[in-house]
Amino acid sequence: MDDVNFRVEETEIRALIGPNGAGKTTLANLITGRLRPTSGRVYFEGKEITFLPPHRRVRMGIVCTLQIPSVLRGLSVFENVLLALQRTELRRPLDFLRPNEEALRVRVCEVLETVGLGDTRAQLAGALPYGHQRLLELAMALALRPRLLVLDEPTQGLSPEEIAHWVALIRRVAQTTTILLIEHNLPVVLELAHRITVMDRGRILFEGTPREVEEEPTVQRVYLGAGG
Amino acid sequence: MGRAGGVNRQARRVWALHLGVLVGLGVLQFLLPPYHQGVVTRILLFSTYAVGYNLLLGYTGLLSLGHALYFAAGLYGAGLPVYYLGLEAVEAFFVGLLGSMAVAALLGIPALRTTGLRFSIVTLLFGQTGYLLTLYFNRITWADQGLTLPLQVPPLLRYNLALLLFGGVLLGTLWLVRSPFGRVLMGLREHEERTQLLGYDPFLYRWTAHLLSGALSGAAGAAYALLFAYVGNAFASVLYSVYPVLWVLVGGAGTTLGPLVGVALVTYAVEAASGLLHAYLVVVGAALVLLIRAFPQGILGSLRDRRWRWLP
Repeated sequence: MDDVNFRVEETEIRALIGPNGAGKTTLANLITGRLRPTSGRVYFEGKEITFLPPHRRVRMGIVCTLQIPSVLRGLSVFENVLLALQRTELRRPLDFLRPNEEALRVRVCEVLETVGLGDTRAQLAGALPYGHQRLLELAMALALRPRLLVLDEPTQGLSPEEIAHWVALIRRVAQTTTILLIEHNLPVVLELAHRITVMDRGRILFEGTPREVEEEPTVQRVYLGAGG
Repeated sequence: MGRAGGVNRQARRVWALHLGVLVGLGVLQFLLPPYHQGVVTRILLFSTYAVGYNLLLGYTGLLSLGHALYFAAGLYGAGLPVYYLGLEAVEAFFVGLLGSMAVAALLGIPALRTTGLRFSIVTLLFGQTGYLLTLYFNRITWADQGLTLPLQVPPLLRYNLALLLFGGVLLGTLWLVRSPFGRVLMGLREHEERTQLLGYDPFLYRWTAHLLSGALSGAAGAAYALLFAYVGNAFASVLYSVYPVLWVLVGGAGTTLGPLVGVALVTYAVEAASGLLHAYLVVVGAALVLLIRAFPQGILGSLRDRRWRWLP
């Protein structure tokens, strides 16, 4: 990446688009902590987090889903969400030693219902169909009560019905959470985003509202050229 | 609410099974001739060691090749104060336990910066260093000859103390792996990055698991020194770092009762084979290879996979 200045406002839905190799995932990784920058700084809600490890950023409220769905395949759907949930629900050391398992169980079911996976609780996460694995990852992210939700190509490989389901979910979540959405699917981006950042070859090409981006000639050239 | 009822029933079944095993072991002592009482006492102590080892291998996914260091730290930590300072047995046990915990806490800091093969090599080196230290301080440890302690524990008391230790460790581990802490360990074993992205510090959890594992191994070593009144550096050698790998893999890594099954099976296989021929280890080795081929996840691991999914 090259000289990127990037800023997202609270409760905004910001989309990050660009051809493959533009640096979208790299930028997201710098925000979530999976990557460290060689120069420059990262700030979140006024605090510097440039060198903070990922698990500390999660506790500040920066939560992400990955491009390749990374659920815990050998555990059940229920156990996946439980592991995410206990992070936020069990705050004091005493909670860790004697957790209220019943209350946790109720919360897990609530989260699963929200994304529409209520019936799959006992199934092995690795045995879920692709679309459901993506939903499970979203459920785990929501269980962490994110303040910033970074979604890396969440609709890739999904059917049109599943994509519509995701759009509705993201809209609902965006009421209380800031969202950074990396997407190749332009209709989804144009429908959801408040503002769009266009990247190409490690630089920010253009930023604007969906309408402005649609009409900008440099964006059209980049997208027609790369076939994204 | 069907699921809540089901979970509670399953929990009761699990605890009943474990208590049943302990009660069975308690009754066993009256059915065994004295020689086998001694063998089972040793099995109980090595099972304590194996349960500690399984916490690191089966539940955290780290293969240590130097765990004899912690067993020996407990052994010498308890035995030497009794021999040189005349410490009481109970006090010596805690000295041995705390000593092994201190070593595990310290060595865990560099060791757990690594994972996988590197971790195995680092722990192998630490284990070997421990063994060589027992030889280096031969004047104190009497390493090559072994040290006999001025203790006399009657066989039945010895059996029951070993059972008490094993029972406490078994039930404690059962509780731990079903707790929130245990869930994080299993998450780290499944997919480390995903678990880290849920807000858990991998190093902290692994270091803690390693500390607990070293503590249990050290407790087994301390108990061995005090109950059998013997301290020898064979227990610091790489053989006793390899044995727990064998015990746990045969019995079932990642199961709570697997270590007991593995220790018992390997011990009696060696007993049976050594009575028959000189090259008994070859026979035992071959038998274990066949066993692992039939049960790739260990005996209890494969049973859990194929039939009894509720086994912890």
